[in-house]
Amino acid sequence: MAMVFLYLVLLAILCGLGIWMINKHTRGGRVCFSPSTKRRAEPYLFLFPTMLLLVLMFGYPLINSFVMAFQNYKLTAPTKIAFNGLANFKKLFSETDIWLIIQNSFLYVLFSVAGQFLLGLTLAMALNKRFPFRGLYQAIIFLPWSFSAFVIGLMHRWSFNGEYGVVNDLLLKFSVITEKIAWLGTPGYSLAVVIFAMIWMGIPFFAIMILAALQSIPAEMYEAAAIDGCGVIRKFFQITFPYIKPTVIVTVLLRTIWIFNSFDLIVVITNGGPANYSQTLPSYMYTKAFSSYDFGLASALGVVLMVVLVLYVALFLKTTKYNKAGNF
Amino acid sequence: MRKKGLLLVVALLAIMTILPAAGSQEKSTKPLRFIDVSPSPTRQEYFTTTFAKFKQETGLDVVYESVPWDDAANKLTVLGASNQLPDVMTTWAGWLGQFTEAGWVEPLNSYIGNSADEYAKTVTQLVWKAEKELYGNIYTIPDGMMVKGVFVRKDWAKEVGLNLDPTKGWTYAEYFDAVYKLTDPSKNRYGTSFRGSRGAFDPLFVYLESFNGGSAYAADGSTLMADQEAIDAYKKWNGLYLDGTAPKDAINWGFVEMVGNFTGGLTGTLINDSEVAATCLENMKPEQWMVMPMPKSDKDGKIYNTVNSPYAYSIASSSKNKANAWKLIEFLTRPDNNIEYCKLTGLIPIKTAVGNDPFYGPNGPYAAFVQQLNDPAMVVPVAFGPFNFTDMHQGMMHEEMQKYLLGKQSAKVSLANVVYELEKRMKAYLAENPGSAVEQPKGLF
Repeated sequence: MAMVFLYLVLLAILCGLGIWMINKHTRGGRVCFSPSTKRRAEPYLFLFPTMLLLVLMFGYPLINSFVMAFQNYKLTAPTKIAFNGLANFKKLFSETDIWLIIQNSFLYVLFSVAGQFLLGLTLAMALNKRFPFRGLYQAIIFLPWSFSAFVIGLMHRWSFNGEYGVVNDLLLKFSVITEKIAWLGTPGYSLAVVIFAMIWMGIPFFAIMILAALQSIPAEMYEAAAIDGCGVIRKFFQITFPYIKPTVIVTVLLRTIWIFNSFDLIVVITNGGPANYSQTLPSYMYTKAFSSYDFGLASALGVVLMVVLVLYVALFLKTTKYNKAGNF
Repeated sequence: MRKKGLLLVVALLAIMTILPAAGSQEKSTKPLRFIDVSPSPTRQEYFTTTFAKFKQETGLDVVYESVPWDDAANKLTVLGASNQLPDVMTTWAGWLGQFTEAGWVEPLNSYIGNSADEYAKTVTQLVWKAEKELYGNIYTIPDGMMVKGVFVRKDWAKEVGLNLDPTKGWTYAEYFDAVYKLTDPSKNRYGTSFRGSRGAFDPLFVYLESFNGGSAYAADGSTLMADQEAIDAYKKWNGLYLDGTAPKDAINWGFVEMVGNFTGGLTGTLINDSEVAATCLENMKPEQWMVMPMPKSDKDGKIYNTVNSPYAYSIASSSKNKANAWKLIEFLTRPDNNIEYCKLTGLIPIKTAVGNDPFYGPNGPYAAFVQQLNDPAMVVPVAFGPFNFTDMHQGMMHEEMQKYLLGKQSAKVSLANVVYELEKRMKAYLAENPGSAVEQPKGLF
């Protein structure tokens, strides 16, 4: 109840602010501010509907999950909900497998982003050249991005099935392996399968973004470089990469956040198993929320995830010098 | 001023629109809501046809809702927490601890009244007795009964020279021996559909109980499953996986994979409930499969086997139509409707009035199951406990086992982590509920 009240107060403040701004600008049908002040205020007025929507859609769940992180909040015991200080955070970091799960999360994000970036870049470079049926080929390549994670998860789950999977079958036929591998039942392999699926799914996104950036590079730059005797590698590092750097930074940033937060592929392919060896923090949060109904603990984990991501974004933008990217 | 007035009018209109919706009360004439937690085309057809008959007889409408089994616990929990549970729901016995703790289900004692005699002993002596002991009241009417058995590839057994006779039964030693004999990886045959994922601890728990006369706890709530005998039994059971009588992938197998790989021809035995017989009838030839009773304890010769209902009908305590909801349950469990349902879903009927239907006779597909229910040596061991163990069942129980199977943890530690957690919860339950006692194993005779 207190939460709803807090939320309503926040909404009322925002609405009040909006009405005040509208009134200030149109009192009596006459503009009260000078044209320059009005121009300065304009962006905020345009932002206001979006901000209101964001607060409506995300504000309440965000505030509520933050509050729940400090409560003993079990859906199965609605009468026993009460504030419990930092107990959820203490419990979280004393879980037996928490460090394994943190390590998994780090590896999952690192290899998925790196794999998607390298393969997406390669694909974009290849598609940047003209060749017959390029449009058709491009459409097929981008297809995985349109599939739902559930379908991709099921596809990989069956492909990597230890007994009937096509992967083992092919590897056996080509004599790469001599006996079947339990991909989903072996620590290490199970996480690798999930990373493989995530890379497969995300390559098109990187390729689309980088291809768009590549197509904006003026051809004269390459011509001038060729006249100056630049080789392929030098052209890439002196012309191509600086031009696409802003796009790469934003894409890597976005994908890192999305991948870090994603749990659908993991749930469908391995469900975190065996013994949490393919579990990541968000999939663990999902498990805690919907198998033990411990929303307090899951919210504590959510708050930790949020802090980690905010720190990552700040650090990433600083170290990549995003503001200076694209300056030549 | 005019603008302020306009804003006030808009705000009032908004409030007036929201308030009636928030405060609306359900009327008793509304159709009954029914939710099925294990939907399939067959079940849905049965329920919709039966609800049409129900409407003809009583004039009451029933709205059919369903949720896939994998999401059922979550959905019902969310509905329960938001006070929106349907009038009648199919529930699972394992959720009752949580549902009764939260007060989401209605006690049915007064509704059952004098009609208890109409029900089979399996219902009155086992299900209801256990519910009364654990939760103080009767909360469910079983949809049908099921008992576990060992499904065996009859053709493979013949090939390896195993002489299996369901009427004589077998011991756990003989069962383990058969599993090893049926394993032949060169033919892509494995002896058992080993359960390594969710639910993996269920059959293992019963096996461990077979060394303690069907008990899991001492009177003070201390575990009986942490001694050397239990550790050896734990190793023996998991040895089936470690010795290669199941594919390595089985560490991730749940119900679907176990059944699919048995009917698909990868594994030679499958411990499961009688409901799987319906799947076998549909997908296998009669000469390919048979059912053996659950093995007898190597220690005392008794059959320790769970007897329960896959699902059961309950009335939500938030229902505004409780009397009509009970009418619907009575109709669904009426002998003619119940036997039709049980045949469709592979269960044993719950009413005594079903008589001697040949389908459940000595030559029918359920012979081994019914035979166990008539065996004086059969004992129903105790359940995990009256407390809420959903979180353990969905995580810790199989995860600890998986750690042992992967060689990351010893058998002693894996077993101890689970049984001491159960002990902790059992002792807490006993302390919080003065006058309550540890459940005792039950027989039908």
